[in-house]
This record gives sequence, structure tokens and C-alpha cells, in this order.
Amino acid sequence: MSGFDVAGWGMWVPETVVTSADLAQRFGVDEHWIVSRCGIRERRAVGAGQTTASMAVEAGRRALERAGLTGADIAHLIVATATPEQPSPATSAFVHDELGIAGSAHDVNSECAGFVYALVTAAGLMRMDPRPILVIGSDTHTQTANPADRDLSILVGDGAGAVVLTPGPVERIRAWNLGADGSCKNSLKVLAGGSRMPTTAETVAQGLHYAQINGNEIYLNAVRYTVRTIRETLEQAKVTAADVDHVVPHQANIRIINSVLSHTGIGPEKLVTNLERYGNTASGSIPIALAEALDSGRIKDGDTVLLAGFGAGMTWGSILLTWGGAR
Amino acid sequence: MSQIPTIEDLAQQLQAVSGAREIDADAALQHIADVDSLDLMEWLYGFQNQYPHIPADESLFADIDDTTTLRVVHERILALVPAEAN
Repeated sequence: MSGFDVAGWGMWVPETVVTSADLAQRFGVDEHWIVSRCGIRERRAVGAGQTTASMAVEAGRRALERAGLTGADIAHLIVATATPEQPSPATSAFVHDELGIAGSAHDVNSECAGFVYALVTAAGLMRMDPRPILVIGSDTHTQTANPADRDLSILVGDGAGAVVLTPGPVERIRAWNLGADGSCKNSLKVLAGGSRMPTTAETVAQGLHYAQINGNEIYLNAVRYTVRTIRETLEQAKVTAADVDHVVPHQANIRIINSVLSHTGIGPEKLVTNLERYGNTASGSIPIALAEALDSGRIKDGDTVLLAGFGAGMTWGSILLTWGGAR
Repeated sequence: MSQIPTIEDLAQQLQAVSGAREIDADAALQHIADVDSLDLMEWLYGFQNQYPHIPADESLFADIDDTTTLRVVHERILALVPAEAN
């Protein structure tokens, strides 16, 4: 047995809503400009006591409940995040403790492509060790965006999503593709806080603990590499865009998403998006959109589902799945 | 398809990508209604696919200011055209 079922899923977002009208007032721009720039009308932001790990715990708990399992049933926990709970230990340690996970725990940091990377990693683990795996994507990029940075602040939101994989007879992944181009590492970066530039009073004073984005580079490379990874995955599966029932892309910017659809020939009616309501929740974006589409009944057992993401680094990845296995 | 785009080609491409009613090749790009930096990147992505022999990248717009027009961008592109394509 080397396949898996997607036995459960869940999502969690903070209660605090930050509207584009709020940000328009803060930055002295027109609300319409924000919405036309990125397609985002509102996003959620963590409040007191809410963190990357606490959101991951809530999403994970819901996914476990949906699957009819507890933490004691989980052999492996993978948390995709680029905004960890703290530098050390891994965010997954906090989630492991809170959910009472029995097995291993590790983080994946592939930025906004993190959930796709984590899911491929989980599928590989499942082949070697066919026991339940909890995969979570969680990020709090509102905490890494400089409050004075208009271009980044209008994009980011906080949230987490999760899936539970259990061993099953069906090989649900029909094709997958992961890639990276480290020469693009400066397109979106947080300079301070690591071994290259440890945090000091000076780095904080200079705001180097905040993310810096080159929006033009990100746009161009996001379109280029997401189109490439989707084409390669569809080709590997020997299917065309017409065979895809639903595409769940990284919810980054509606203009990137529309460009990718246009260049890959995937019809807009197949797009699963909640970008308008949550903004770019990074590693959380794909599992949150998936959970909503599953809860609403839009995605059903047997559907062909394409997940595709890209992130800083650059990293990218896509997976073509035959959906199913819910309990 | 010509191996070297004319300025009219560029204007048509940018118009198609942005949905702008009109592209004046001598107007500052920053002041053309309905054209923003993401439109320029979308246009560039299409350009790179259409003219792979011309090594144009986002540096075309790296120092964009009030004096940067589509004609200026066209001149920059012409400077990038490999000699054998001329």
C-alpha cells in the first residue's frame, strides 16, 4: 500500500479583519487602487496571543476531528511556514506539543510554496511509512511586513490550513513538480535575524527584521515559474488543462493568478480562490482555499485537482491529484 | 513575425495586456491611465516568450521615472538585439 486518502481537512483564520479601506486610509491611497492592484478586499491579522503555531494548532485540530483521529494517531507532522514561532525550536514542536502528536515533527520553509513542498514530502513519507500524516501550512506575514510598507501590507494576511493523509490503496498524486531558482533569492527577503545578519539593536532600528519585496521581479518570476510547473505537471500526467476540474493556486495576487490561467489555458471557472477575503496567507493559502472548497462541496471525491504555488527563493511546485478519501 | 519589434508592436502589446484605451509612445509610462508596473511585467513576460532571442528583463524598467516613455523602452530593446538579428 503506497497511496493515501485525504481523510480530513481544516482551516483557521484570526477574527481581526483589515479591510482595503482601512489600508487605503493608512497609506493615503484610493481603496479601488488596492483592489485593482491585487484583488484583495480584506485580510485577517493575528491579535494578542495568536501566533503561527496557535493558528496551526487550530487548523490541525479541525483536520484531525474531520478525519476522526487524534494526535496520538499521527505518525508524522509537517508544518510549512516561513514565519516561525521563534528561531528555535521549529514551529512543529509547538504544534506537536499542543496536539499531542505521537510521531515525528518537522518544519518546511519553502516560503509561499511551502504547502506544496510539504504535501509532496508527506506523500513520499507515506510510501516509506504508511501511517497517518498531518500536514499544516501556517503563516503570519502581517508580522514581517513593515507597517510603513504599502506594497507588502496590502497583500499579506494571516491564516492556517491543514490536511490529514491516511494510508489508502489509491495513488492520488497523478503527477508533481517542484523547483527552485536561488538566483532570485533577493526578490523577497528578510535580511536580519539569521546567521548572516544576527539581530542587533542596529538592525532593528534600520527595520531589517521586516520583509523587503521587489514586486516586479516577484510578479515576473511568479508567472514564469508557476506556468512552467503547471505545464510540466500536466505533461507528466499526460493530461491537458481541459482535464483539470479545479485549480487551487497560491493566493498571492489575482493578477498573477489570472495571468497563470491565461498562459496555461485553464478556464477561470475552474479557479478556487478566496484571495478577496483573506489576502496572501503564504503557506496557509492553498490549504485554506482547499478546506473552503471541500466544506462547500465544490470539490468532490474523484475530481481532478491541481495545486500550484510559488514562493520567495524562488521556489515553486504543483501537484495533480485525484481527490478522495474523506471519512 | 518580425525578429525585431517595432514601436507600434510594443504599443499594441501593452494595450492588449493592460486594456488601456490608447498607448502614446511618447507619454511617460507612469502617467498612462490603466497601465501600472504589473502591466509592464505582464507585457514583459509575453515579450520574453515572443522574442526569446532578445535578452530583455525587468531591468528595462529598473530606473523608470517621469521621463521614461515606451519609445525609450523601445530604444533599450533595440540595444539588446543581438547583432546577427539586425
